[in-house]
Amino acid sequence: MAHLVQAIALGLLIGGVYALMASGLTLIFGVMQIINVAQGAFLVLVAMVTWWLWNRTGIDPIVASLVTTPMMFGLGWLTFRLLISRIRGSSPSMSVLLTFGLALVIEGVLNLTAGNKFKSATPAYFEESFRVASISFPKAQVFGFVAAVGVLGVLYYVLNRTWTGRAIRAATQNPAGAALVGVSAAGTAALAFAIGSATAGVGGSILSVLYPFFPASHYEWISRLLGIVVLGGLGSLPGAVAGAVILGLAETLTATYGSLGWSTLVFYLVIMAVLLVRPQGLFGARLREDAA
Amino acid sequence: MKRAHLVAAACLVVLLLYPVVNPWQPYPQGVLLLGFLLAVQATSWNIISGYAGYVSLGHSMFLGVGSYTVGILAVAWGVNPLWVAPLGGVTATVIALLIGTVVLRTRGHAFVIITIAMLLAAQIIAVNFRSLTHGSDGITLELPFWHRDFQNIPFYYAFLLLLVLTVLFSAWIRRTKFGTGLVAIREDEGKAATIGVDTTRFKVTAYAASAFFIGMAGGVYAYYLTFINPVGSFAILGSVTIVLAALAGGRGTLYGPVLGAFIVNLISEAATVYAGGVQSRVLLFGGALVLVVLFLPKGILPTVEAWWRRRNPAPVEYIEQPAALAVRERAPVPESGEGALPEPGEALLSVRGVTRRFGGLTAVDEVSLDVRQGTITGLIGPNGSGKTTLFNLVTGGLPADSGEIWFDGRRVDGLRPWRRCHLGLGRSYQVTRLFKEMTVRENVVAPLADSRWRTMWSDAVRGHEAERARELLGLVGLGRFAEQRAGALSYGQQKLVELAQVLMLEPKLILLDEPAGGVNPSMLDRITEVIRELNANGVTFLVVEHNIPLVLDLCDQVAVLAGGRVIAEGPPLSVRQDPAVLDAYLGHDWTPAVR
Repeated sequence: MAHLVQAIALGLLIGGVYALMASGLTLIFGVMQIINVAQGAFLVLVAMVTWWLWNRTGIDPIVASLVTTPMMFGLGWLTFRLLISRIRGSSPSMSVLLTFGLALVIEGVLNLTAGNKFKSATPAYFEESFRVASISFPKAQVFGFVAAVGVLGVLYYVLNRTWTGRAIRAATQNPAGAALVGVSAAGTAALAFAIGSATAGVGGSILSVLYPFFPASHYEWISRLLGIVVLGGLGSLPGAVAGAVILGLAETLTATYGSLGWSTLVFYLVIMAVLLVRPQGLFGARLREDAA
Repeated sequence: MKRAHLVAAACLVVLLLYPVVNPWQPYPQGVLLLGFLLAVQATSWNIISGYAGYVSLGHSMFLGVGSYTVGILAVAWGVNPLWVAPLGGVTATVIALLIGTVVLRTRGHAFVIITIAMLLAAQIIAVNFRSLTHGSDGITLELPFWHRDFQNIPFYYAFLLLLVLTVLFSAWIRRTKFGTGLVAIREDEGKAATIGVDTTRFKVTAYAASAFFIGMAGGVYAYYLTFINPVGSFAILGSVTIVLAALAGGRGTLYGPVLGAFIVNLISEAATVYAGGVQSRVLLFGGALVLVVLFLPKGILPTVEAWWRRRNPAPVEYIEQPAALAVRERAPVPESGEGALPEPGEALLSVRGVTRRFGGLTAVDEVSLDVRQGTITGLIGPNGSGKTTLFNLVTGGLPADSGEIWFDGRRVDGLRPWRRCHLGLGRSYQVTRLFKEMTVRENVVAPLADSRWRTMWSDAVRGHEAERARELLGLVGLGRFAEQRAGALSYGQQKLVELAQVLMLEPKLILLDEPAGGVNPSMLDRITEVIRELNANGVTFLVVEHNIPLVLDLCDQVAVLAGGRVIAEGPPLSVRQDPAVLDAYLGHDWTPAVR
């Protein structure tokens, strides 16, 4: 029983972090129907930068996200302006291929600069835990979770309570209409892409503490994140959170009662099972313009 | 196209002779051999991702699946791997069927995502299912049975044979109705469904077909390497080269992926030799992928072809009117042979209490409407009154929230769009939705009359269909444009082609969404004439139209929709004088014209 509670507690903590990582992906998809396959590479890139900062200056990895978040915001904005905006209007599969190419470029650059070895940031609290009764909450996971929930809260606030957020949501739902009321669709898209990328700033910093990584880790991460958003329903933020929590629980429960090696596979099986019943994912919806 | 086949045949002859002429050069042979392997994969990938447009980023999975199947079986049964190589293809096909059945039922992006995930899942299984795969240690196969002096020449011919088979397979698919259906899905999936293409089945079959030869090649490849392990067999970089090859060469063309494969393979080889191997290859392929997407999105072959066509344009006579108006042959009589139609006057289509909401907006609200056999029924109403949504509900593009739809004595509201099409329901669109990359003729013959496998595998254009397409294009006056790309036609012409397309299947009921929109008056006369002729031959029509004089003139019955409800129904004259209609449709300040 204690095992179960422990596994669930850990699963929820990890799920929160996953939710943050997937939120950028789902935001970008929601606004411009683009799957940013480079999001995984963004995470690994940030993890690498965070590790480097921590290694050189001793700055706490999670605090380092104050540096990496603006960096990713800028990188996302540039990515949109220099790459994505050139292929708007062509078939959606081209953007998948484009961002996939970008992910490989980032991997290649990291390979050449940082080397092909596993790294992990290990601040002082790395091995410590909070204990409540017999359940232990590893500090790194707790800090990661708190940071993730905080960022998700800010993201939710920005999307729902600010003019920028309304502009983004307006452009999501009706680009032409948004343009008529003075919202620049291209500008909004660039902003959304930048914000979506910026979430990788915090996500990647947390990643550098919680998981060992190396340049090619981004495949594993992107397939996890994509799995989350497919499970939750593409473009839905609540869906991404639900998918993330399910992934976290699937992983910790499999690791507790089975073996660690199978945990990701169990998650993929869950996705397949859900898609069998609900092809559009848990929170996916059909709109009028989807009709034949 | 003929020229391309000749060039391909010449290349094949050269490749066949190469080891004979130059037998003691293992290195170039090895490079070519890997080129064949990549070409097999890119050509196969092209079936699902080029023809049908569903990009797979995990296609190298099937190579690994084939390798493992053959490796495991060859060791377990003690047979030569070459004998069990086809089983590698079978396993790959079965796995593709399973994944496709789950993921390809919907439109959109889930597929590409799942393909990446499945590649990694396959690697996880290969690492962890130790009793079967020996985990990370991998499986070692026997050495080739032939004498060392033959080097890898037998493998060279094995892969070349596989390549030839794959290209023939791909060419054959493209020539069948199955192939046309896949292109239709790529161009406009929703439309494809309403002209009778069972999109789910087509996509799943295409995915399975794209796996077979890769799986088989994987088996041969395992024997060639004599060693397989999870990381090598399920490498994502393999998928990248497949995608890059097919994209660079020309996605959706027959020879493009082959050409691309040789180019990518040469670059990859050069990178290994001159630029320090695997490390730089990731960067190189990533950069190449970005550049190809940005600057050569159509690929080499189509770009060259377009350039050639610009240099040597085919003459087209742009004489729409005389041609259209000169054609005075009789309209083709729909042979309503099979299944007696209901008696005239009985309801052919019956919509009963159908509702559809979008969030808080009720677009169609408890609508009940009968379209009687043999009539031309008009459906009018202000913009946003739910006319097109009602069409979508009837043809199956959207599911209704509640209510029943009956067609020709059957309840159809649970049926998929293509089933309704096969029952005799045809429609045109408000904004034309032709398959723009296909020729006009291909568009007209694209509809599928039934869901039999035999139909799917038959020639794309059978004799009587070519004949009928010619008749129909003559009927709408566009016979001269049969070989033009549909996207090159004017809007009004596209409208007419779409009408011919709908007529192809001789439907019992045709839903026309604003047939007069964007069509000039003389052409409009032609359209109404065609509608009348068909109607005289027993075809029933339901017409949405804003051109009220046309509706009043053409229709026997008119229903008026406003705010998602039917507010009036009856013969044109009575509807025209119905105060509720005048009020809702024409506004309060409308005063009747004195006649």
